Amino acid sequence: MTSTPLFRAARLALVALIAISALLPLAWMLIAGFKGKNEVLRSPFQFFPEIWIVDNYASILQDPQFLMAMGVTFLGAVIFTVLSLTVNSFAAYAFARLDFRGKRFWWLYCITPMFIPAMAILLTSFVVVSNLGMLNTLAVLIIPGVAAAAQMFFIRQFYLNMPVAIEEAALIDGASRWKIFTTIFLPQSQGPFVVVGVASYLAYWNAYVWPILTIQDPNLFQIMQYLGNFRSDRGNEWGLLMAGSTLAALPTIALLLVFQRYIVNGVRLAGMK
Amino acid sequence: MHKSRKRWAAPAAVLTAAVLALTGCGANSAPATEDGKSVVTFWQQKFEDYQQAWFKEQVEEYNASQDDVVVKLQVVPADTWDQKLKAAQAAGKQPDVRTTSYGNIKPGVANGHFAELGELMDAEAFDDIQPNVQDFVTSEGGYYAYPLLVEPSTVLFYRTDLFEAAGLDPDTPPTSWAELVEASRALTKDGVYGMNIGQVALDLAWSSWGLQYNAAGDLPIAEDWSEANATDPAYLELADFYGTLYQEKLMPQEATYPYADCSFYGEGTVAMSACGSWAIGQLSGNPDWKEVLANTAVAAFPSADGDQTTPTSTLGGWTLTVDAKSKAKEGAADFISWLVAGEPERMVDFFKASGYSKYPARISVGEALAADPEASGNPFLTVVSETILPYAKAEPAYPWDISVAFGTALEKAMKGGDAAAAFEEAQVAIDGVIEKQKLAGTNPQ
Amino acid sequence: MTSLQTLRDTVVTAEASAVVNLTRRRRGSHLRDNRTAYLMLAPMVVLLAIFVFWPLVYSIYLSAFEVSFYEEPVFVGMQFYQYVLESPGFWNAIGVGLRFALIVVPLQMIFGFVIASVIKGLGRRLAGFMKTTVYVPTVVSAVIASIVFVFMYRADGGLINWLLSLVGTGPFAFISDPLLALPAIAVPAIWLVTGITALIMLAGMLDIPESYYEAAELEGARFLQKTFYITIPLMKNVLLFLLVTGFVGALQQFELPLVMTQGGPVNATMTPNLFIFNQFKDPTPYATSFSITAALLLFVVLGTISALIFRLVKSDKAIDG
Repeated sequence: MTSTPLFRAARLALVALIAISALLPLAWMLIAGFKGKNEVLRSPFQFFPEIWIVDNYASILQDPQFLMAMGVTFLGAVIFTVLSLTVNSFAAYAFARLDFRGKRFWWLYCITPMFIPAMAILLTSFVVVSNLGMLNTLAVLIIPGVAAAAQMFFIRQFYLNMPVAIEEAALIDGASRWKIFTTIFLPQSQGPFVVVGVASYLAYWNAYVWPILTIQDPNLFQIMQYLGNFRSDRGNEWGLLMAGSTLAALPTIALLLVFQRYIVNGVRLAGMK
Repeated sequence: MHKSRKRWAAPAAVLTAAVLALTGCGANSAPATEDGKSVVTFWQQKFEDYQQAWFKEQVEEYNASQDDVVVKLQVVPADTWDQKLKAAQAAGKQPDVRTTSYGNIKPGVANGHFAELGELMDAEAFDDIQPNVQDFVTSEGGYYAYPLLVEPSTVLFYRTDLFEAAGLDPDTPPTSWAELVEASRALTKDGVYGMNIGQVALDLAWSSWGLQYNAAGDLPIAEDWSEANATDPAYLELADFYGTLYQEKLMPQEATYPYADCSFYGEGTVAMSACGSWAIGQLSGNPDWKEVLANTAVAAFPSADGDQTTPTSTLGGWTLTVDAKSKAKEGAADFISWLVAGEPERMVDFFKASGYSKYPARISVGEALAADPEASGNPFLTVVSETILPYAKAEPAYPWDISVAFGTALEKAMKGGDAAAAFEEAQVAIDGVIEKQKLAGTNPQ
Repeated sequence: MTSLQTLRDTVVTAEASAVVNLTRRRRGSHLRDNRTAYLMLAPMVVLLAIFVFWPLVYSIYLSAFEVSFYEEPVFVGMQFYQYVLESPGFWNAIGVGLRFALIVVPLQMIFGFVIASVIKGLGRRLAGFMKTTVYVPTVVSAVIASIVFVFMYRADGGLINWLLSLVGTGPFAFISDPLLALPAIAVPAIWLVTGITALIMLAGMLDIPESYYEAAELEGARFLQKTFYITIPLMKNVLLFLLVTGFVGALQQFELPLVMTQGGPVNATMTPNLFIFNQFKDPTPYATSFSITAALLLFVVLGTISALIFRLVKSDKAIDG
């Protein structure tokens, strides 16, 4: 790319603009957690509080229920993500690369759930998990959402983009489809897996209605259920809510930093140049 | 495409059959018992924090007080209550005891949701219910709920200090809509709005019930639910009242908080506010709003013509009900008798904890409160129980869609739309609900 | 120009012929593929059967009744379908949903594309920082984001109106103005999804061999030409995914209007799912059946729109299953 100083300056300005618009609302949330009840709602607007208050953060961090909810939700989210990647990438590979009887039917079968509004099956899903005896277990939060059409669709789109040459060579060498999947496709899947995996993890982490429907045991309360305590029709605990939301987002942001170098980079296919 | 259709017809048919077979048997769990005790599940809708604390404490005390019943308390957030309850009902997992609002009792009875409490509890307990609340908890001649509290949905809160600053007399708050608008004009200055009132359809749907009664002497539907009545010209006056407040910018121009949340008033954005009596509890519960509270007075909400003996508020509130399909009805009723129908002192503690923002529905509890020096000295309690409670009306028992249709029309008119046309639309919508839900002649008495 | 088109055609043909070759080769090994494919599909198929299709069929079954969970349900056939289709509220909600999607999806795609292009041109360190940064909004749940934006939008004491006052306009009551409310709730929707959209696009861009661009540059192609003749055609799979999921997500949005506007002012933000959600409120069998049926009809609408997108975007049937 040609890079004149003007171009570089313009690009840096754009980068700064993007970063600010992405982070400003979060910064607001973080700072609001340091504000007293009155200051959150203060008019005229002031970004920083007049008096910094750590009570909101301190009281949440000292609440054993918060730590418990973070732990349980994290555990559930990790199991959910791993299962989800496994199940959906299997199906994605079959649709992207295999030719089999009834493929069109099974494709419609697997992709249709993407268009089913959650509201349409909210009651009846509950009846199903209840009849299966899953209420009030971690399983009810994990299992029903594992097979996800959108995730499968996403991974399939990536597998469609993989060059066929390598696969052909392997087939000629007599490798089985399963072997090709595990030795060629899976190792190449870091990129899509990180993108989809983080999305699964977040879908689990941010779920609100389903946990409330299915979980009664306070020991299994999910983090959004816990944060819901600060909300009510009759007045909200803004400072606590913002502090709690900030704290709840931290582990995920840390996770993003850890996986940062895998985000996207790995998608680039070896041997393609 | 055609070839494959046959192939998937078979698995699809098998799947369908399996699903129908499996869902047919809504396997109900057996009556829950453990070490011989009968387990009673109790869902409490989440409200102000002190309520959760009170219920938790009481349930623990009850469980320790006897050996037959164990009550399991579950606090359920209000925003997902309806979904959670319906899902649980669909699966046969609904709680034995739950908090039910007055407005949901009659439709619930009509649909067979509740066990008749008259058969399960002492008759004396029901004699103790205030005469004007008796009708709220009875249907088809039987008692189906035991009241916990009543709370008027529309009370006028106002700032005495700002009244003085604006040259108004804090001892004579506005009594008619015209006076209220006048006062709002005087109070709107220095970045403070004179007034706050509901402004979004879903809020107006219920928060304006009392004012609907006031404007037209009735709700926008005939007594026997046979036809809509939304085009009563009296409602134009109501729309004009809301519209003047909104369009003259005498009230906040956006609904940052829902009607039930009185934060605009607490944070000092407005000088007067319509809110439910529960806002007293919200104001006194927030240490940052001490100053506002110290300068707060309450009054009956103004009426169309200044007559303060006409209703401007509905009497909302909560009761405890036992589920019709409960397998532990006896235990459930015993718990209700102990908690809300038992010693008056137990309920006195509850109303104290509420900061006198809620009011008893039992004669004996009212008397006990009156005898309590702290309670009888509370200025809010006196105003509400003397000038508002006696005139407040019951919440309507008709479907929510009707209230929403009217609330939507009111919002349209309020925000500058053609009021007559808006109420015409509501008329059509309400008639549609009456027809589709076969309401004519079903008003439960 | 023409040589660029030729280049693109070559690229596409090369990929297509490879697929054809592979398909031809596979004809001989049908059985092995069948077994492997079914085994790999089995977990997904079974899970979907239990947790999606079973409830779905049950919902369809229930929609033919006035559902009471206490008394015998009354069979009413297709009556509720008629009620929903006759309900002005339902059609208003579908209209709101479509308008909302038409604001959110194109902007999400354009912003995503611009951000991805910018990141692609950055050095390693800065690119790493930006990838994390644009992803961060995704970690906030829609409910929390709604609350944050309600505060930022406040006409009185809100961050956005404060910024506008610095340039001498406003204040606007964004979420209470019937004209501004829908765009106003679209902003957090875009904010929440743009990051991941950009990253997925970036992934797609990095998949395109640099040699294509080098060849194009030799032909004297400029940025826009490269974008339209190489980048976009080669990202078709990714763009299709983003379009479909974007539309489905936007049409199903309900947390933002629920928290920010309750569907107001005057139903201007009453999205389909919020409309359905509100129908749950009554304890009557009518309300239950109506909401289930409305949700099922929404499914039909979503399916139709998505099928249209598939048809419009997808021309290469060889890849489609």
